[in-house]
Amino acid sequence: MYRSFLSWRYLVSRRSNLVGIMGILLGVGAMILILSIMTGFLEEQRRAIRGTLSDLIIRPDRLQSPTGMMLDPSPRPEPVLEVVRADPRVEAATAQLQWAAMITEKGKDFSRVFNSSAAAEVVAKEIVGIDVQTDLRLVLPALSAAMGVLGALPAPAMDQPIQDELDVTGFLDSLVGPEGKMGWTQAPPIPLFPFEYGPDKDGLRLPSCIVGEKLGSRFKLRPGDTVQLATAVFPPDADPEFHNREFIVSGLFRTDENEVDGKRIYVARSELADFISSGRPYSQILVRLDDYAKNGHAARTDLERTLKEKDLIFGPQFADEVLTWEDTNRPLLGAIENERMLMAIMLSLVLVVAGFTIFATLSMMVTEKRRDIGILSALGATPRGILAMFLMIAFWDALIGTALGGFIGVIAANNIDGIERWLSYQLNIQIFDRDVYLFTHIPTIVQPMAVAAIVGGAFLVSHLFAAFPAWRAARLDPLTALRYE
Amino acid sequence: MTTSSESTKDPESTARDPQGQVKQRTAKPLDGSLVLQARGIRKSFGIGDRTLEILHGVSLELQRGELVALVGASGAGKSTLLHVLGLLDRPEEGQLIIDGQDAWSLPSTARAGLRNKKIGFVFQMYHLLPELTALENVMLPAMIAESRLGFGSRRKEHRARAESMLERFGLADRMRHRPSQLSGGERQRVAMARALYHDPTILLADEPTGNLDSATGERVLELLFQEQARRELSMILVTHDLRLAKQCRRILIMEDGQIQSDSTVPIPT
Repeated sequence: MYRSFLSWRYLVSRRSNLVGIMGILLGVGAMILILSIMTGFLEEQRRAIRGTLSDLIIRPDRLQSPTGMMLDPSPRPEPVLEVVRADPRVEAATAQLQWAAMITEKGKDFSRVFNSSAAAEVVAKEIVGIDVQTDLRLVLPALSAAMGVLGALPAPAMDQPIQDELDVTGFLDSLVGPEGKMGWTQAPPIPLFPFEYGPDKDGLRLPSCIVGEKLGSRFKLRPGDTVQLATAVFPPDADPEFHNREFIVSGLFRTDENEVDGKRIYVARSELADFISSGRPYSQILVRLDDYAKNGHAARTDLERTLKEKDLIFGPQFADEVLTWEDTNRPLLGAIENERMLMAIMLSLVLVVAGFTIFATLSMMVTEKRRDIGILSALGATPRGILAMFLMIAFWDALIGTALGGFIGVIAANNIDGIERWLSYQLNIQIFDRDVYLFTHIPTIVQPMAVAAIVGGAFLVSHLFAAFPAWRAARLDPLTALRYE
Repeated sequence: MTTSSESTKDPESTARDPQGQVKQRTAKPLDGSLVLQARGIRKSFGIGDRTLEILHGVSLELQRGELVALVGASGAGKSTLLHVLGLLDRPEEGQLIIDGQDAWSLPSTARAGLRNKKIGFVFQMYHLLPELTALENVMLPAMIAESRLGFGSRRKEHRARAESMLERFGLADRMRHRPSQLSGGERQRVAMARALYHDPTILLADEPTGNLDSATGERVLELLFQEQARRELSMILVTHDLRLAKQCRRILIMEDGQIQSDSTVPIPT
């Protein structure tokens, strides 16, 4: 009984124990806070990597036979879409055509573009053909979310709403479904959506396109402006063909993904297929699942098998034609995971420091309490009992330190924005520069498992560091201890 | 075994005789049963490269209820012998039988239990735990002996017993005081109550008055002798005060790690 009684009494009567408790409290609190912020940042990064990617991407391959014949098991997207949509786990699927093009001066085609005075500005743009009439909704979650910034959806966090005059009703309807309508306003003057033909300044009817916000800003594009896209196609047995076509800008979009916002242009898929005279009017099928986290990998395997059975793809022995969004970004995602792991390892050093405070305070206490140890031995306490008593002091330290540290860490992580603003105001410096990041708040994610691991780790570390002083106390010769004055 | 009904009286007043002299001790006749037998105890310490033998094969026997004074000059080995007999220091050679058990051949846990239940210590420096109140210090042997559950279920009983002992030792109004708030005499009385809590068979007192002024020392001793007689304790009192030793029935004189003289004072009639 004396172990718990005396350990608690020593704990409350020796102020030096506060150092150990504070060490654990700060270690646990700081670790939870930093890890939550880092997890938040990494999750934002992961979300940015995912960007406009759908859950699954099907890219049926084409092969050229030795005789020069092109083997294409799926020249049209409809049979593939039919198979994909038959899977109960699939929520939506759509075909997409991707190509590269350049924005050129009016009248200049692809072959002459490099002679242009603006040659340095010539960078291939990603032109993406999508079907807004088909069941596209929810396939592009980041895009649908980004459409909020168009002013159609409430976007309270944005300082500068972009293009709130665009009528995106139809597009958003197809993107997010009726439940996604959140009271946007229909604003004239250019109701060109989805991808309607509109008149340019000269009164010509032109196909419409949506341009990434950064790309638009670089070329000073506003809704209603005309943009000329130039591209080249390379038929297998013929000379390259050059095409250019004018589009009317019906709006700008923002996905918070630099690569997308600075390079991508959305047009109608049929228009793009016609523009590039492609024999294959799609390049990939995008698939949205009902629960990616649960069904993602199983659905990928099943769809791959079914499509192979129906001879719509060559199969995994030839190429990876059915991919999850993670497959397409494996190195980057691996790097993020690695970053998270490294961060956790580095932060665990904080706990080691906390462990050292326990070691130091307990060692000090063993020295101070040498005489008490001798008295307890004389009264019948066993070395094991004395060991347990000092370990219990570490237990109380850890219990109080981790409980308070865990509580403070979680509270701080959930209120980091307020804390940051208060600190910024008090110190008169900007701690978190919102202009540097694409998000307007400090992202934090408190993971219960991580909190449990930190608390458990702190407990373990405290006891590990307490073990040596406790063992030293247990080994103390009672007579030496009694003579100690 | 004492009970909670032990009478309360001021020990410091009863210990005094009208002339202020130490009283001649009276004792009941012994029944001859042995509670402690030490045979050929040898103990040495290493000092640098040298080994210094402190006890050279000491043998002694202690009967139930016997009051023994162990006297000798400083460095004679009195305290070392007391520590060996109290199971705090293991001898290199020799055998120690306490209540029929070969104490040094017992496992350490059993030996700790023997120390807890059968042996009481009173030290010159009191050795109370400064973080505990007088009452808690007295209950400490019970806390050590019992599990958390066991002590918890008998907490009231233990508290009543400790309170009763402190009342008996004249510390009724000092129970919640910490050692730092007590005088030397009060501290030693708390230490005595703690030593006697489990009603031990053997009480080992190492110069219990060495740190007290003579008047307080005498009162404390008086109380100690009263308890010894009342409980029929076998007690070894280490002292180098021959006057004090003469109050004991048997006097062992140690010199150079050996018992040079073992004399018994006749029971006064």
